[in-house]
Amino acid sequence: MIAVEDLRKRYGKTLAVDGLSFTVEPGRVVGFLGPNGAGKTTTLRILLGLVRANSGQATILGQRYKELERPFCQVGAVFEASGFHPGRKARNHLRVLARAGRAPETRVDEVLKIVGLEGAAKKRVGAYSLGMRQRLALASALLGDPGVLILDEPANGLDPEGIRWLRDLLRSLAAEGRAVLISSHVLAEVEQTVDEVVIINKGKFVAHGSVESLTRSVEGRVRVRSPQAAKLRKQLVKAGLKIDVDGDALLVAGGPSSQIGEIAAKSQVVLHELTPITTQLEDVFFALTTDGEK
Amino acid sequence: MIASLSSEWLKIRTTRTIFWLLLALCAVVTLFVVAGILTNNKADLTGSDNQAGAMGIGILAAVIALIMGLIVSTGEYRHGTITPTLLTTPSRPLVVVSKGIAAMLLGVALVALAEVFVIAELAAFLPIRGIGFALQGGDVARVLARTLACAAIWGALGSSLGLALRNQIGTVVGCFAWLFFAEPIVQGILNSHAIHSHAGRFLPLAATIGVFADTTGHDANRLSHLGGVFILSGWLALATVAALLLLGRRDVS
Repeated sequence: MIAVEDLRKRYGKTLAVDGLSFTVEPGRVVGFLGPNGAGKTTTLRILLGLVRANSGQATILGQRYKELERPFCQVGAVFEASGFHPGRKARNHLRVLARAGRAPETRVDEVLKIVGLEGAAKKRVGAYSLGMRQRLALASALLGDPGVLILDEPANGLDPEGIRWLRDLLRSLAAEGRAVLISSHVLAEVEQTVDEVVIINKGKFVAHGSVESLTRSVEGRVRVRSPQAAKLRKQLVKAGLKIDVDGDALLVAGGPSSQIGEIAAKSQVVLHELTPITTQLEDVFFALTTDGEK
Repeated sequence: MIASLSSEWLKIRTTRTIFWLLLALCAVVTLFVVAGILTNNKADLTGSDNQAGAMGIGILAAVIALIMGLIVSTGEYRHGTITPTLLTTPSRPLVVVSKGIAAMLLGVALVALAEVFVIAELAAFLPIRGIGFALQGGDVARVLARTLACAAIWGALGSSLGLALRNQIGTVVGCFAWLFFAEPIVQGILNSHAIHSHAGRFLPLAATIGVFADTTGHDANRLSHLGGVFILSGWLALATVAALLLLGRRDVS
């Protein structure tokens, strides 16, 4: 449904996107992750025909965006909370888009209701908060009732209730068979929303898979606290485990908590804490993107 | 094309800028017409031909159309609305053409409004000085055709220049600096005895004067009405090609 193949984009001496390839299937919510400057927004803009690639292909539904028959009704997009004339009322903003994109104007009130802005529809966008603008941007993306959604940082500016609403909305959209590609730097939020993630760094592909498979691939750690930390550390290193220090605690990698407990018992070391740390998407992200930098 | 044009027209109608510019246009037109009626000799206000001359103030609508064309197009970059515009209308040439036509239509609408004001004010105020309202269809049509042509072209010119140059304040200030300061100087140089080229008449403001003004006898420094329209259209074509090339190649990021 969304296919990026060996995509390259250069800005002067900077290679913003470097041979990137990935696909997004229908009915999936895919997180598109990478550090700032990784090339996420550039890739999304290339997909939507706003930026020209130097080489490679970026297609949606098998075609380039501008070759789609009714692109606005087939693909909905959000780019940050900008793209509004501050002096135009929200409802009129959507009417302008509906007309140009050949979406029925009856959808305007429907999408305002979906994003919870029906009460503020006649306010000028300049008076909107960041969260309201983000909702309006989402309303724009949903106007054409598209099968594909491409969202760049859609959670920016949303309050916790808004983030939960967004999560439920994206899940329901995916359940209807739509493909959703969502870039975000709020990793904890993405983790709860997406089926799979594509991770890029410095314009290059790093990883693609389900959150579960990626978290499995990263080594878990155990948090250990002991009044005899120095003695315990010596024994753990002797056993071939990797140690990091976090305040008064040791973060131990390379073995399960049972192994660490046994080593402590054999060495007659008192333990105050022995907690396995669940690997989260954030850990995967940092592990993979840091590796990429080496 | 219709969808894109309809959207561009709605864009123009749904901000307060157009409201304030319309108000300014009506106020200035009223001021000029009333002042003209009160201060001119009775003889200069009598007869259809003279009264049609008062309709010339409608050319201010061309300036408003130029400003609106510039503001609407550069506003796309200023407010970032160029992104949703290109998402709804991925064909960039279509965006350039739709915006140009919408600005042309705006110019036509502004002239129509301004001239309705002028005619209503002539009808209302001329009798106060004991002068009969004598405007005839032929004279009205002559002035209307010239002002409409100028306003339509200037509106589209503003739109294309705005899309090509992007910076709102720079483009508006630059256009006014050209029209009111630079062009008269350049015209003077090109038409001077030393150069004697008469090329100054091909500049945008001079061409507009050619379209608009009544000429008595031959003036080598002034184009004919049709010649003026032709040259102004040439400037519009140049600005449109620039907008097509620059917007067509530009990354929108």
